[in-house]
Amino acid sequence: MISLAGRDILHSWGKFVFTGIGLGLLIGVTLTMAGVYRGMVDDAQAMLDNSGADLWVVQRNTLGPYAEPSSINDDVERSVRAMPGVARAANVTYLTMQIGHAGRDVRVMVVGIEAASPGEPGQPPHLVAGRQIVRAHYEAVADVKTGFRLGDVVQVRRNRYKIVGLTSRMVSSGGDPMLFIPLKDAQQAQFLKDSDAIVRQRARTARNPALNPPGNPGMVDAVTASQTSNPYVNAVLVQIKEGFSPDQVAEPIRRWQRLTVYTRAEMEEILVDKLIATSARQIGMFLVILSIVSAAIVAFIIYTLTMGKIREIAVLKLIGTRNRTISFMILQQALGLGLIGFVVGKIAATFWAPIFPKYVLLLSSDSVRGFIAVMVICAIASLLAIRAALRIDPAEAIGG
Amino acid sequence: MADGIRIENLVKTYGEGETAVHALQGVDMHVAPGEVVGLIGPSGSGKSTLLKCLGAVIEPTSGRMTIGEQTIYDNGWKIPDLRALRRDRIGFIFQSPYLIPFLDVTDNVALLPMLAGVTNIKARARAVELLTALDVVHRAKAMPSQLSGGEQQRVAIARALVSRPPVILADEPTAPLDGERALAVVKILNDMAARYQTAIIIVTHDEKIIPTFKRLYHIRDGRTHEEDGRAEPAS
Repeated sequence: MISLAGRDILHSWGKFVFTGIGLGLLIGVTLTMAGVYRGMVDDAQAMLDNSGADLWVVQRNTLGPYAEPSSINDDVERSVRAMPGVARAANVTYLTMQIGHAGRDVRVMVVGIEAASPGEPGQPPHLVAGRQIVRAHYEAVADVKTGFRLGDVVQVRRNRYKIVGLTSRMVSSGGDPMLFIPLKDAQQAQFLKDSDAIVRQRARTARNPALNPPGNPGMVDAVTASQTSNPYVNAVLVQIKEGFSPDQVAEPIRRWQRLTVYTRAEMEEILVDKLIATSARQIGMFLVILSIVSAAIVAFIIYTLTMGKIREIAVLKLIGTRNRTISFMILQQALGLGLIGFVVGKIAATFWAPIFPKYVLLLSSDSVRGFIAVMVICAIASLLAIRAALRIDPAEAIGG
Repeated sequence: MADGIRIENLVKTYGEGETAVHALQGVDMHVAPGEVVGLIGPSGSGKSTLLKCLGAVIEPTSGRMTIGEQTIYDNGWKIPDLRALRRDRIGFIFQSPYLIPFLDVTDNVALLPMLAGVTNIKARARAVELLTALDVVHRAKAMPSQLSGGEQQRVAIARALVSRPPVILADEPTAPLDGERALAVVKILNDMAARYQTAIIIVTHDEKIIPTFKRLYHIRDGRTHEEDGRAEPAS
């Protein structure tokens, strides 16, 4: 059986290919938008995976440490470590900030971790270059996406840090690369006031008779010291012992420590369903609009192509061609256009995805779903043209 | 039963009541196998309506039509599949050739049998046979846009003949051609009618070819009159 659609496409291939490229770029944008969403989810999951934690212990009644601020005392870690089923526990701080380096600003998530504690939760699990942090101050490990190199010196607040190691896929749920620094430095960076503020605070404390009572000169020094030190962290990350379930370990911590504890599943729900839910809806809206625009374009193109062949279709009908043959011809052309568009879109998305500043994850399953969606949209879009073609009167081929 | 195409007392009325238009008012016609007849008439006389009825594109209000021994219409009754009838038993030639622009000459001719389920090889062989008979086989692989007007019309004739239909309806087939080429097309149609025993009805205004018909039907006000084909054409 001869393929009328195939012959028509071959005959006017230029028109089809150029139209397909235009449609393809639109499909490429659609696939990329889906990839952006997948990238956000993957970033969130990677952050949880790479933290090495089974439980997140945070300030009571907060969604911390990623979705909401959380502040707990750093000695909580010691009492958590003593709870049944806890294998390891580590304090951790998170602070997103802008760092100037080599004439440009880099947005990073500064993570405070215990130095020289490999294998503890919160540590970067693998390095692509250099070594882990072994000194208690002024060393840092950076994700390669920061653009920092081994030996670079970067400034975080007042202090300068030497990059001693590089890691990869360590990003925040927002896609910002992580910069690991020692915990004490991170605590200082998170809560440190500038010098003027400290001087004003000291003066204010000294003027307060309740904090500086006559005859007790040591009290004001003690109060001032407590004001300038920071014993807080954002969370305690916990690894559980084998044989214990996360809920089994979490429950006593919740009850006895009066803290909120999230399991991996709960934390993933917070990140994916709450933190990036609005972004996901935003992307979903874009996908819907792009799908509608693609369908409208395909429908318009196929309709125009079909209307350009009214006489030929009338002749085909007059000489006895079945309606289904004509319908199939138009459907095939729409699907052919969709196929060209999808191939162009897939190639385009594959090439431009790495250029995006945030991680774009193009999943094969999304491509398959996208291909099916494109074919369905093209099939639906061809209905208008098929309807018009079937309404063409074969008598139009006969003059008069 | 008569061969060729025969219509008896064919009536076609558009609309109803006072606004009814009586396009055909009892037309009789018979064209035998191998015969070529002309159908002439002024604009609005009912030529196109008659052609559409003969071509099974529209149904007559009443009357009878047979092709060979097959009854097509009989006073309100019609055969169920007019589309298949058009495909298998009626060939069409149009004022413009209306070749399919994305098929080459061979496939334009072979399309109809292919659509009817004949294998591509057989259909193309039949097409080449006709293109040879019409002296246009050297253009078999050309696209329609590469052909001259005369060549296109010969390809259109081959397409009309490819299913070996007992009837061919030609609607102003020589209109776009100059005198010499128009006469050549009529000669081809006469030759093909004789060779394949096809009944051919040519609707025309072309005074150059009217004298070539042995029989001529003149239609006026929805009625036909058989005339001597070599007589002066009616105005």
